[in-house]
Amino acid sequence: MRSRMLIAGIAAIICFPVSLSAHHGAASLYDVNKETTLKVTITEFVWTNPHVEIGIASVEDKSARWLLELGSPPNVANRGWTSRSLKVGDVVTITFNPGLRGARIGKLVKVVLANGKELQA
Amino acid sequence: MSSHRFLIAAAGLLAIAAADCARDSAAPSAEAVATRPDISGTWLHPAGPGGGALRPAEGFPLTPWAIEKMKAEKPTFSSDFRETTDPSVLYADPNGYPRIQSHPMKFKLVQTDDYVYHLWEYNQNWRQIAINQEHSPDAPLTWYGNAVGKWEGDTLVVDSTGYKPSTWLNSQGVPHSEQLHIVERIRRDGDTLVMHYTVEDPVAFTKPWTVELKYARVKDGAMIETIFTISDELRFRERFLGVPSPIPIRR
Repeated sequence: MRSRMLIAGIAAIICFPVSLSAHHGAASLYDVNKETTLKVTITEFVWTNPHVEIGIASVEDKSARWLLELGSPPNVANRGWTSRSLKVGDVVTITFNPGLRGARIGKLVKVVLANGKELQA
Repeated sequence: MSSHRFLIAAAGLLAIAAADCARDSAAPSAEAVATRPDISGTWLHPAGPGGGALRPAEGFPLTPWAIEKMKAEKPTFSSDFRETTDPSVLYADPNGYPRIQSHPMKFKLVQTDDYVYHLWEYNQNWRQIAINQEHSPDAPLTWYGNAVGKWEGDTLVVDSTGYKPSTWLNSQGVPHSEQLHIVERIRRDGDTLVMHYTVEDPVAFTKPWTVELKYARVKDGAMIETIFTISDELRFRERFLGVPSPIPIRR
């Protein structure tokens, strides 16, 4: 019986759809059911692997800072991002899934630039 | 010039000329090149069912060895490297072949007379398929194997061996051994690339299995550099997971 359960378990794992999140999942780091939207100043924008990094500081409370991750460069490039989409000092409205347990990290959902252009994660 | 030196020089010229002739005779005719099937272009697996998932419809025929090995593996469903045994996350190892064919980034096929080059955007990895050549008898084990191919009508038939056994066959941790042997039948159906796989490995599978993957032709644009290294991973761990790097991180 135990071996049958094991085989069923392995079959379930094998049949799990291939993850389109190529490198890192999100559920164990971020509250994917919660979205936080803030007007922020960009403190860093790093076009890097495995995922593009965005540093933000709240306009209302500059001590409130987060480090957000985006997808990998080729994937986000397909959605209109370039290495110059953001620069330090830009003021934008940003939506992200915040880190679990109060961690000052997040997973970007979307950003609305000062000119109204919207970029999706 | 002494007659001895003259003879050596003449022999050298003859050898060069003979090599040139051999190259010319081996080169395909203009007609052969003009009628050669064209699988070149940029391809991407579409999202959704059947899009790039590397698994047979009836499930993997795993041997007890493979079942035991999978019990110890934890696939990458987590952001935290401590929760996975995926070598591509833990060590920033290349995906290897055929796992990289499941990756949701595009790849290019480039055809020359002697080779078909398979270029993946992900990690800037590539493999070469030698056309009308035999397997090298002493090929080392590599991430992307030793692949030879020949045209059968509109289909490129690729036979490959020599895969490093530390890679996973897919993102779910299905293992393979050094005896992994893959036969691919690659053809183009309009704007779809059809890749039919027959996979055998007597250590990991009780019988050969097959799967067919389909890829859509996409705009033949630039490939964007995305080389994932251990320094990238250490940086991610330090900044997002709060795990200090044991060595200085660079970017």
